[in-house]
Amino acid sequence: MDVIPSLDLLGGQVVRLLHGDFANVTAYGDPEKVLDSLEVPRGSRLHIVDLEASRSGRPVELEAVRRLAKRDLRVQAGGGIRSLADAKAWIDAGAEKVVIGTVAADAPEVLREIVAALGADRVIAAVDVRDGVVRVHGWERDAGATLAEVLERVESLGIREALITDINKDGAMRGPSFALYRSLRTKLRIIASGGVSTLGDVVSLSRIGSVGACVIGRALLDGRVQLAEARARVATPNAIPERVIPCLDVRDGRVVKGINFVDIRDAGDPVECAVRYEAEGADEMVILDISATDANRTTALDTVHRVSESLFIPLTVGGGVRTIEDFRALLRAGADRVAINTAALRNPRLIADCAAEFGVQAVVLSCDAKRIGDHYEAMVRSGKESSSVDAVVWCRRAEELGTGEILLTSVDRDGTNAGYDIELLRAVTSVVRISVIASGGAGSLEHFRDAIEAGGARAVLAASLFHDRRLSIGDVKRFLANEGIPVR
Amino acid sequence: MITTLIDSPVANVANIARALRTVGAELVVTRDPDAIAAAEKLVLPGVGSFIAAMRWLEENRIDAAISTAVKRGATLLGVCVGHQLLFDLSHEMGSTRGLGLVRGEVHKYEGSLPVPQIGWNRVKAAEGSALFDGVENGVFYFVNSYAASNAPDEIARADYGRPFTAAVQHDRVFGVQFHPEKSSAAGLRVLRNFVTWT
Repeated sequence: MDVIPSLDLLGGQVVRLLHGDFANVTAYGDPEKVLDSLEVPRGSRLHIVDLEASRSGRPVELEAVRRLAKRDLRVQAGGGIRSLADAKAWIDAGAEKVVIGTVAADAPEVLREIVAALGADRVIAAVDVRDGVVRVHGWERDAGATLAEVLERVESLGIREALITDINKDGAMRGPSFALYRSLRTKLRIIASGGVSTLGDVVSLSRIGSVGACVIGRALLDGRVQLAEARARVATPNAIPERVIPCLDVRDGRVVKGINFVDIRDAGDPVECAVRYEAEGADEMVILDISATDANRTTALDTVHRVSESLFIPLTVGGGVRTIEDFRALLRAGADRVAINTAALRNPRLIADCAAEFGVQAVVLSCDAKRIGDHYEAMVRSGKESSSVDAVVWCRRAEELGTGEILLTSVDRDGTNAGYDIELLRAVTSVVRISVIASGGAGSLEHFRDAIEAGGARAVLAASLFHDRRLSIGDVKRFLANEGIPVR
Repeated sequence: MITTLIDSPVANVANIARALRTVGAELVVTRDPDAIAAAEKLVLPGVGSFIAAMRWLEENRIDAAISTAVKRGATLLGVCVGHQLLFDLSHEMGSTRGLGLVRGEVHKYEGSLPVPQIGWNRVKAAEGSALFDGVENGVFYFVNSYAASNAPDEIARADYGRPFTAAVQHDRVFGVQFHPEKSSAAGLRVLRNFVTWT
């Protein structure tokens, strides 16, 4: 999949409009300076939108495109192309392709004329969609045609690429319309546009069969996505599998499961569960000692030892880790990685100390997040009490201190089977580079997909769903593979 | 044939021992240089720092013992940092000489992906590789910040931002960058292939 940087131009400057509103403008400055700062390499495709033209219907930013084309960039220019003369003006200015919106949806005869004169290869049809309806004229009115009708018309003219923008998602940083792109049945090479705000969004789009490219605007401008990293990730989309992780909540040597961290019931022997899960294809195992007190720490270490002796996959253990010595004891008992929660909130240096002593790969931050008002707070004491620390800020800080991975549990969703908290996942995955394990709320196959695709999680964790055998790990992995998400 | 596992303190010996026993190895775990020099089948584990691992080998004369064994015709498998130790040179914090049993150098991952690499990655083995028999296109578990790339003795490669050497073989000397003892059935298969290789 191509990752195409996108610049919206207004008055010769790079800008962004929120929800297409000309009264809501953020300015980023001169286009060439912006491209330098984004480190866009020579030969790259570049998407240019002439915002004034999209409103007035006449090309305005021709000079800017002329300068950009001279930098050995393959410019695709659009905005308000209503006639063959407009389209020719962009090509004459050095654009490789023109992006044609309104007339593609509104005036098929003009589109046909442009294709005949310039060739279908130089035309990208742009279709803007809001709530399933195609919009035209700078998004200001309905086209009176469905998306499927417009795409069929475009395809019949020999055009091969269609840029599809979900207006509700554009510039809002809430993620692209994965469901929209997944639902498309077309031979066109789809260029996804709108809402790409994290590296995970780019990777997720690359896994949808019909999507051949995506454009990124604000997320690049704001530094949320690095172009080189995004291109590296999608260059080998199937190399690195996403992980399915069963969690054993253990108390007094038995696996237990509670709803919202209370109402605990017995769910079996840890070793038996662990062996079954590895055989089913678990990529990793997590043990959380949910009643860790000094009195039963020895029992917990014994459980960890017995489970680790029966596994040939990585084992992460958490619960009640207060000191570097607790950490060491769990590693000695057979854990590959240790999750720290409450103790790190009280003493963040513990993360850095453990990373220095055992390596960042051994350190996992376990963050129990609960929605309080308009934000999430990191909870302590097994989710019972707020630390008053913002969970997203805390995850970011933990990454700086040296945690190798974050196990992010939604306290609100835990045990409810209502789905992972996608908003929480996005909030964290958009500010950290390390992997996030989604936890709390899995109830259906789609929930696992959404946590990875829309939430940006690199691993999905569940407990009761697997213990109760409502779904097997194999079911989840087969479903993810069918959805284009690589699994082991 | 007895498999001799080198009891390095800079390694996760217990897990590798358990995995080797699971695939049927008759195992001796030792740090005695004479026993290592006389071994027929050797496993060199390692985690963490290349420099610390190499220093331990030198201070205990195990570097020379390994070379003696290999010259006598012993079969050797290096795992993770043990694999890196087989190379001529590592560029971890300056340059440190390795055992020189396979050609090439170990470098820090460059590129745009987070380092260390922690997790599963797909490994493509060269056709006919005995070590990867049955798992030619397997997925293995890695934890590493350094790797060789395009090594002359490469028998398997993987991609982490760019291609790197996942396994090497030079005559009877093998090395795997991943952790077979944490790679479930695929990892056990590789260990079984090594243990039964003649």
